[in-house]
Amino acid sequence: MNRRKFVTHTVTSGAGLMLSGILAGAAHKQEPDIYTGNQKQPFMQEVLKYRKIDAHAHADENQYKPEVNLDFADRLGIEKLMISNFIRPFSEGRPDDFRTRNSFTIKCMKDHPGRFIGTVALNPAFRKESLEEIDRCRDAGMTGLGELYNQVKIDDPLYYPIIEKCIDLNWNIMMHSPVGHSRVKLYQSEPKNISLPEDFVSIAKRYPEALFQFAHIGGGIDWEYACKVLKDVPNVFIEVSGSNNAAGMIDFAMKYVGEDRLVFGCDYSFYQGVGQVFSANLTDAQRKKIFFENIAKRLKKAGIHVN
Amino acid sequence: MLIDSNAYIGHWPFLRLAHNTPETLLGRMKEFGTDASVISNLNGIFYKNTQHANDELWEAIRSKRIYTDRLIPFAVINPVYGGWRDDLEQCTTRMGMKGVRLYPQYHGYEIATPSCVELVKRCRDKGLPVAFCLRMVDSRTSSWMDLDKEWTLKDIVPIVKAVPDAKYLVVNVANSMALNTEDMDLFRKADLLFDSSGRNITNWADLFKSFGTGKFCFGTHAPILDYFSGLLRIESLRPTEADEKTKAQLRSGNIKKMMGL
Repeated sequence: MNRRKFVTHTVTSGAGLMLSGILAGAAHKQEPDIYTGNQKQPFMQEVLKYRKIDAHAHADENQYKPEVNLDFADRLGIEKLMISNFIRPFSEGRPDDFRTRNSFTIKCMKDHPGRFIGTVALNPAFRKESLEEIDRCRDAGMTGLGELYNQVKIDDPLYYPIIEKCIDLNWNIMMHSPVGHSRVKLYQSEPKNISLPEDFVSIAKRYPEALFQFAHIGGGIDWEYACKVLKDVPNVFIEVSGSNNAAGMIDFAMKYVGEDRLVFGCDYSFYQGVGQVFSANLTDAQRKKIFFENIAKRLKKAGIHVN
Repeated sequence: MLIDSNAYIGHWPFLRLAHNTPETLLGRMKEFGTDASVISNLNGIFYKNTQHANDELWEAIRSKRIYTDRLIPFAVINPVYGGWRDDLEQCTTRMGMKGVRLYPQYHGYEIATPSCVELVKRCRDKGLPVAFCLRMVDSRTSSWMDLDKEWTLKDIVPIVKAVPDAKYLVVNVANSMALNTEDMDLFRKADLLFDSSGRNITNWADLFKSFGTGKFCFGTHAPILDYFSGLLRIESLRPTEADEKTKAQLRSGNIKKMMGL
């Protein structure tokens, strides 16, 4: 597949920066190539032309303010953000905690209609309360689970009734992925119940009709490791958010899991989330799938129509 | 005009890189309309004798006219390795390199160790910038054999204090930029630029307020980071945040001024 140019160069003449002779001892037989440099390309026009759904966003009253989310979203052409107020690591994640968090998410949806798609935080260690919370949040317009954190592993039997309910609702299930796996030991901040790529494979095979989202391959995991492990589980989306906008990450993910399983997200790293998609070797159609169409299809299954 | 102040050729031992030769880097530059790139050789981080990396870079660039037109070489110097003074002289005279990259974390010395201070003073006297990187790769995803500690901006303070009148380029600002009042004042007065590749270059309003618009420049940290995010940070600035003159400074004006281009 040929690399698609970022944008069509609209300017064909002009003086570039010619540094000839700057390198001492340079001697050449070749004539200089014809290359005119920047000439102010319409980058933002290209960025804004793609519809985008951020499949990994957060909102709370402190670190992830809704207004900041929307400022970045407007700047970069992100129509909707799938927000959660996740249960923090090392907290017990009791029902009163996740109810309060979800209520804040519901408030954000009401305050900014059409911009936020609320996803549900819960802790399957509290089975009855979690199942009830799904009903409460669904009634309030939320859809899908996320970001599930590390209170319980994704393939723990405690999750079975939750996942079965999500299957009935056609809900997306988005869970955090671990940090630091490539250094043999997990990051110190990762609790022992963190879900590894292998755990996602295990649960995805047990429930092939369930819709999983492996969070933020740019969030600190070894993305090559993760994509290789998750290669053959078609019901797991690979979501590309995170602050580590490693060159080649999306190209590698494309090779292993393909254009129908990659979804765009930022996880509050907005420049990297958008920038790396334009840096990757993608066609126009592939960008559309990653930015919008893949996750929109899943949302549609759950009754959320964003077209 | 667009100048990338932070790019590389060469290899990383634990990661397969693409676009890491002059030809493939030039391909990226053409695609995104970059007029020129400041580059150094990643191999110099890992060769004990960094001069081999500088030789490789020089040979690579002088092999084609367009490389000498578009690529601005920086030497990798290790000031605690024998013969570094001669390496610096060779690189900045015979080879015509336009600045120096230093890697205290990888080469195993403190940033204000006497030989490093001497090197920076020599660069100052030659009018050449000295570049430091807060992290080359994300330690969370790096190999267990790679560094596990990343720098914050505070780690740069000792050398700026030691040689306040040198030219500094601080790249991949991935971690905290918090400084106390005294150090902030030092950085404001210094001839110092931050490139736009790092993840902490996010809240421009605060950054401009703290450091001023004259302290930033476009950088990609390619081929380790994606090519576009550093540019997107600049291009997506609203007119109320940065007028066209300021954007032009960020795209190329500030680095041109520092380098005398």
